[in-house]
Amino acid sequence: MLCRMNILAGLLLLQSATFGGAVAEPAAEPTQGELSTRFTQSIHPFLDTYCINCHGKLKPKGDLDLTPFATMDAVAADPKRWQLVLDKLKAGEMPPEKAKKQPAADSRQQAVDWIVAMRRFEGRRNAGDPGPVLARRLSNAEYDYTIRDLTGVDIHPTKEFPIDPANEAGFDNSGESLAMSPSLLKKYMEAARLVSEHLVLKPDGIAFAPFAVIDETDRDKYCVNRIIEFYKRQPTNLAGYFLAAWQFQNRAVLGEPKLTVEQLASREHLSAKYLPVVFETLTAADEQTGPIAALQAMWKNLPTPDAAHVDEARKGCEQMRDWVIDLRKKVRPEFKNLALRGMNPGSQPLVLWKDHQYANTRFDYAPGSALKLKTDKLGGEAMAIPAEQPARDQFEASFKKFCTVFPDTFVVTERARMYLDPEKEKLLTGRLLSAGFHSQMGYFRDDAPLVQLILNQDQRREIDTLWHELDFIADVPRRTFQGMMWFERSDSSFMRSTEFDFARAEERGLLSESNLKKLEDLFIAKASKATTNAVVLQAVKDYFEDINRVSRGLDRDRLAAEPTHVAALQDFAQRAYRRPLTAAEREDLATFYRGLRSDEHLDHEEAIRDTLVSILMSPYFCYRVNASEPGQGFHPLSNYELASRLSYFLWSSMPDKELLAHAAAGDLKDPQVLLSQTHRMMQDRRVHDFATEFAGNWLDFRRFEEHNGVDRERFKSFDNDLREAMYQEPIRFFHHVVESDASVLDFLYGDYTFVNATLARHYGMPVPDGAPDKWVRIDHARQYERGGLLPMAVFLTKNAPGLRTSPVKRGYWVVKRMLGEVIPPPPADVPALPPDESKLGDLTLPQTLARHREDKSCATCHEHFDAMGLAFEGYGPIGELRKLDLGGKPVENHVTFRDGSQGTGLDGLMKYVRDRRQADFLDNLCRKLLAEALGRSLMLSDDPLIEQMRGKLAANQYRFSTLVDSIVTSPQFRNKRAQGALAKG
Amino acid sequence: MNDRKKARQHRISRRTMLRGAGVVMALPWLESIPVFGADIAPGATSGAAANLAPKRFAALFMANGINALHWTAKGDGADMVLGKTLAPMEKLKTKMNFITGLFNKAATGVGIHPGQTGNLLSGAQLQKGAELRGGTSMDQVLAARLGEQTIQPSMVLGCEQPVTGYHETNFSMAYSSHISWQSATSPVPLEEYPSLAFDSLFDNHGSQRNKSILDRVRQQATTLSQQVSSSDKAKLDEYLTSVRSVEQRIESTREIRDKAEANAKDRGKPMVAMKRPDNGLPEDIREHMKLMCDIVALGFQTDKTRIATLLLCRDISGLCYPFLDVKVSHHPASHNDKSDAYERICRYYVGHFAYLAEKLDAMIEGESTVLDNSCIMFMSNMWSGSQHDSTKLPILTAGGLGGTLKTGRVLDYLDKGNENRKMCSLYLSLMDKMDVKLDRFGDADTRLAQI
Repeated sequence: MLCRMNILAGLLLLQSATFGGAVAEPAAEPTQGELSTRFTQSIHPFLDTYCINCHGKLKPKGDLDLTPFATMDAVAADPKRWQLVLDKLKAGEMPPEKAKKQPAADSRQQAVDWIVAMRRFEGRRNAGDPGPVLARRLSNAEYDYTIRDLTGVDIHPTKEFPIDPANEAGFDNSGESLAMSPSLLKKYMEAARLVSEHLVLKPDGIAFAPFAVIDETDRDKYCVNRIIEFYKRQPTNLAGYFLAAWQFQNRAVLGEPKLTVEQLASREHLSAKYLPVVFETLTAADEQTGPIAALQAMWKNLPTPDAAHVDEARKGCEQMRDWVIDLRKKVRPEFKNLALRGMNPGSQPLVLWKDHQYANTRFDYAPGSALKLKTDKLGGEAMAIPAEQPARDQFEASFKKFCTVFPDTFVVTERARMYLDPEKEKLLTGRLLSAGFHSQMGYFRDDAPLVQLILNQDQRREIDTLWHELDFIADVPRRTFQGMMWFERSDSSFMRSTEFDFARAEERGLLSESNLKKLEDLFIAKASKATTNAVVLQAVKDYFEDINRVSRGLDRDRLAAEPTHVAALQDFAQRAYRRPLTAAEREDLATFYRGLRSDEHLDHEEAIRDTLVSILMSPYFCYRVNASEPGQGFHPLSNYELASRLSYFLWSSMPDKELLAHAAAGDLKDPQVLLSQTHRMMQDRRVHDFATEFAGNWLDFRRFEEHNGVDRERFKSFDNDLREAMYQEPIRFFHHVVESDASVLDFLYGDYTFVNATLARHYGMPVPDGAPDKWVRIDHARQYERGGLLPMAVFLTKNAPGLRTSPVKRGYWVVKRMLGEVIPPPPADVPALPPDESKLGDLTLPQTLARHREDKSCATCHEHFDAMGLAFEGYGPIGELRKLDLGGKPVENHVTFRDGSQGTGLDGLMKYVRDRRQADFLDNLCRKLLAEALGRSLMLSDDPLIEQMRGKLAANQYRFSTLVDSIVTSPQFRNKRAQGALAKG
Repeated sequence: MNDRKKARQHRISRRTMLRGAGVVMALPWLESIPVFGADIAPGATSGAAANLAPKRFAALFMANGINALHWTAKGDGADMVLGKTLAPMEKLKTKMNFITGLFNKAATGVGIHPGQTGNLLSGAQLQKGAELRGGTSMDQVLAARLGEQTIQPSMVLGCEQPVTGYHETNFSMAYSSHISWQSATSPVPLEEYPSLAFDSLFDNHGSQRNKSILDRVRQQATTLSQQVSSSDKAKLDEYLTSVRSVEQRIESTREIRDKAEANAKDRGKPMVAMKRPDNGLPEDIREHMKLMCDIVALGFQTDKTRIATLLLCRDISGLCYPFLDVKVSHHPASHNDKSDAYERICRYYVGHFAYLAEKLDAMIEGESTVLDNSCIMFMSNMWSGSQHDSTKLPILTAGGLGGTLKTGRVLDYLDKGNENRKMCSLYLSLMDKMDVKLDRFGDADTRLAQI
């Protein structure tokens, strides 16, 4: 039976080196010849005498056949098996007690020493060997993160991919485990198609939308939302300007005599262009009568806006704002609907005319309107309507000026039907940017006051672009015009007469100049019979001219954009491949696009989307492969390869601009640059992804988001929010350690953790304010029996089978995941414990387990971890603190560890780990991190680096960065093997 | 939760949009239909072949209700007496069902038109304002489940351009323009051009697109594998082999098609009995609708797709019918729904339904016909256009879905109680018969009695 424990190679190696015996001093390292001789003379005979009987060719026990190991080279080539041999010999577990021949203690020691020395020799001989880092596809997580960083939108295209298998080290990022198959390739195709559906073709390049933008309604949504978001960002709240102006007026009193308007505007997030205008208006002299004078009076009556009175002043400003808005409505010009016989009042030409009238008069005063205002209490004296001239003229003149400073609105973002009573139409909200037609689609831009008073040059350009993109991306003119053609035959009857029968909205050439001209002539001819009103006829003419002008512009832009899109894809490919494209590759991409157009008859957009799919299907994108050079030994990675290796290590994603810039400059290989980039990257938000991937794989909670092992009837507090919070806790903890370069010992003993409101409630901690996604650090967490990784609910829950705890699984998790012990799986015939703690009868769980350990064959493994798990008995099946178990018995968490020491609960466990097992933890962490970084399982030749990492850790307060620094500057990280692989390793 | 929901939507949208989803195909039905009888394994009866026939579903939509005075049917089977509007179905009455009294609750009490239309095939509540939100329609549910087996997961065709904008009820007009929805937030774009709809079936357009891409990446992988070590080469070979394997499957589907076409030619029955429509749009709406029906029929016969919807006209349609001697367009005409003029319009639409049904019935498949293995459904969003009444809907079905749907019946559910007259119950029943079994769909969790 090979059902015993192993301890990790490195630890043993160290222990042996220090305390072991034969290999006492590095100076006395044996040579290969000596080792080989020793093998032939004593070790091989030792095997023959004590082992081969059972571990021979025929039915070898434990599937271990030792006969092929006839030379030292053969032994060196299979370090894994010989680790096992070493462990068994050291522990005295082999040969088994019942064996007839038992070796003498010194010959056993001799064998042990030889294996240790041989391993050490092999490790040193090839130290720094980059090892076989296989070409591999991106893991699912890497694919998702890379797409996110490549496109700027989080699409998660691998949602439907099968779960990636992990390699021996437990990580899903190596060629050993990441395979490709036809069915997976098909999924890659679907994923690439999905991403391509997010592609937006803009006049000046490409972008990606957060949702698929194939259907026109989705394109509308994408473009309209961006415009609305832009408008929402703009400071149009007058109250803010009044208050800031007041603060500026009082700047000396407020202790800021040198404050400028610009500074103030920037501090208060106001327009630096509009604030001076408002300030000047409020401080203008010669305003005795009218709204500006009234406003000035209100303003001067505000309290000094010092800390004690700022709220009161703000309230006053809000009142001023409401007064302005209300007054402004009453004095703006109003326009009646245009009418044309046969045309519905909600028809496009008529409504657009009205839209324009309003949009063009946002700064206008309606003459005479001020003289009809009702008494205005707030406005006071200044708003009293004068009875005589010239005071009446002056009063109105003041309104005129007032209207130019305070438009009736800055921007119209929603519009119901324009030709109906606005009061009744108020309920029809949410018609974003709508032109206000009846039933038909149409957008109308009405933001002149915003543009003129508030926006700076850059912002103007931005909003112009956004509107242009709406036309371009969502093909607005065509669709609007099609809507018109339908409407004029449906609700409206203008096009019902037979001369229009030829025209179909579905026709592709609908917007051609000749077609528009033809329709315009027919429209004008018919309209001229119905009316002599020149305004109406002009409105119809304008309508067609606008459509024609915009359409012609779009035709030109579309044509001009085609090469731009191809060039944008070439740049995209460069980023996707994480290296520069050769001139041939750039040309090849364009050739592919042209082929799709000419040979496959795809239109521009289809061809662009397919070219994008081909980029994402390219092995240069979805594979990580380092071109290797001929010869033996190893070569440095190229700068670009190094950039990718670094970014996939620390971010699980592609390199960013800065990293690629260093690759391009060729200085990334410089250790100083490499380290400074590494430290920059560890401060980046993407470290969160590293935390998720590395910690998730290392500590085995990667799929806890889908964990369904909890009986939610019994544990009502366990819902999806709590599950998510549990999942997040170790990631946030890990992220913190990386980001703040804390000690890795915090993972074990840190007296703090991170919680959101949900988790705080679960832990019985004070609940932090704020949204569910607000996380806070909790110090002195030990008072709640938390802190560090060990007592996190995610591990306690994942390692409990639902209705009871599982000291076995919990303990096994500690020794395997945290301390790196390798423990074989239990035999198949182990009796199961009852699934429900309350059904254990008279015994408690600890007692039941103790009984299990009475069986010697069980004890050999269980004594390694039962105690560890029992120490957690104070935590229930979902990691909640408890005094009684589910059977109502007081929990027992006083345990005896393997070395005979005793302890209680979390404190006891921590003390034991600190006293006896800390080295195991550190060794394990170093190994896991190195395996993740290299994307392969570790080899003997990595042992010296592990030793070095541990040494540096201890010398640098166990800072996390010490580990990363050692790794990224190590030869195995920075090099690759040449084509002729090393003979050994 | 939200993310997952989103992911689900993507999933459907992806499958639907992915014209090349047919990369991996089931053996096309063509192989074993009797017109290619030589390919049937010896000993297999044609009856057995018929049982293997795929089941198809199509919905044909006409907007704004029917003329109730002439929308009548009485009796069973050959004895069924049809009202004037249904006259075009006379020859097929044993293969059809006349169904009245069904409704979508979510399409009532929400105002007229868009709110009565966008959920016709989903039964979902629709959201007003700028953001579209409803539900995935049953044809797209079927397409998502069955579409992998054919070149085109579904065909979504229309003879009238969609419009958006806002209706006076503050619903988006997009709901009036689309009955097929790939997700709660996105309609399936309509194909209006017969030539392009044809191409999507017969040019192997979708898979061909994927093939060009695979060709290219295969070349890249080959180049790349010459620059790497032997162990890396082995990894890249995995990729190359996968690419080749997927490419070969595309090839083989084409070979099967070519072979089937050759077989058909030898027997004097060209499989594609239709020449490619002209590039432009037919000026005459009659020709347009007929072509679209032809394409659905061909898609079904050749098993390029099993699911289709055809929006003959849109809700609040602006189509004009000078050839029917109707002076106003569709929507205003529907406001006078009891008129002779509107009856002529309705009969014209039923005529297209009958045309498609007859066409499918002439396509022999084993001992039955393509129609026998399909269910094609004629439907409108209202009963009466003057009342804008969606409390009951006019429905015709034709075809027996491979013997699972009894035909020649008149079924009236109006007095069965609201719980027992849901459109979504009908959809659940039909989807069952197509082996897509759901616990609930739209507002229904029970199947429709007698279906």
